[in-house]
Amino acid sequence: MLRREFFKTLGVVAAATAVVPSMSFAAEAAPKGPNEMSYEAALKAITNGKGATPSSKVSLKVPEIAENGAVVPVTVEVDSPMTEKDYVKTIHIFATKNNNSRCAAVHLTPANGQAMFSSRIKLGQTQDVAAIVEMSDGSFLSAAQSVKVTIGGCG
Amino acid sequence: MAKIKSLIKMKPKAYKDGEVVQMSLMVMHPMETGMRKDKKTGEMIPAHYINSVKFEYNGKVVTTMNVWESLSTNPVFTTNLKIDGAGELKVTFTENTGEVHENSTKIKPKG
Repeated sequence: MLRREFFKTLGVVAAATAVVPSMSFAAEAAPKGPNEMSYEAALKAITNGKGATPSSKVSLKVPEIAENGAVVPVTVEVDSPMTEKDYVKTIHIFATKNNNSRCAAVHLTPANGQAMFSSRIKLGQTQDVAAIVEMSDGSFLSAAQSVKVTIGGCG
Repeated sequence: MAKIKSLIKMKPKAYKDGEVVQMSLMVMHPMETGMRKDKKTGEMIPAHYINSVKFEYNGKVVTTMNVWESLSTNPVFTTNLKIDGAGELKVTFTENTGEVHENSTKIKPKG
C-alpha cells in the first residue's frame, strides 16, 4: 500500500513539474511589450532604415573578456568639435543579443564640451556591444566590439 | 519604498572656468529586469529600473538619457560638462514606476 501511494504522489509531482515549464513559457511570452527589441529592429527604427557606417571617429571601450556579465564597463567617446554647427546628437548603446538590446540613448548638447558617455551594462551571454552615434548633420556612425562573457548577468 | 540614494561626482574636483570635466551620477538602485525569479517563492520579481536621467546646468538642459533595464545594478552615468560660470547642476531621474528623484550640486570654478 505504502509503495502504491508513493508512486501515486510521484505521478502527481511529475504532472506538476510537467505543467510548470509550459506555464512559465506562457508567462514569458505574455509581456512582450515595448521592452523586448532586437538589435536589427532598434537599428532600423533609429536610423530610419538607412543603417550606420562604421567609423574610426567613434571609440568604444569594452573589455574583450568579461568575467562577470552583470557588470561590464562601457565607454564611448566620439571625436567631435561639439560646436553649435557640428556636434554629437545622440549616443546609442546596444547589447546585440540581450532580450532588450537597447541599453542607453544619451542625448548630448554642445554644452557637454566633449562627446563621451560611460556606464556599466549587463550582458546575458557572449555577444557584440555596439555604439550608434547620431551626428547633428543627420549621419550615423557606428562601432562594435565582441565581448566574451564567462558568467551571464541576466537572472 | 526604500529611499533611493544618489550621488553626483565631478572629476577633477577642482576646475577652472571653460574647462571640460567629467560629471557622473551614481544611484543605489536594484535595476530589476522583470525577468528574474525569486528563488524562495518562485514568483517573478517585477521590473524596477531607471528609465530616464536629465542633467540641468543653471536651468539649461545639458544632457538627457533614456536608459533601459540592461544597465547594471547601482548604475553610473558619466558624461562631460563644459564649465561656464558658477551655478547649480541639477539631476533628475525617473523610474519605470513613475517616481521622480532629484539631486543637485554646486558648481564653483576656481580662478
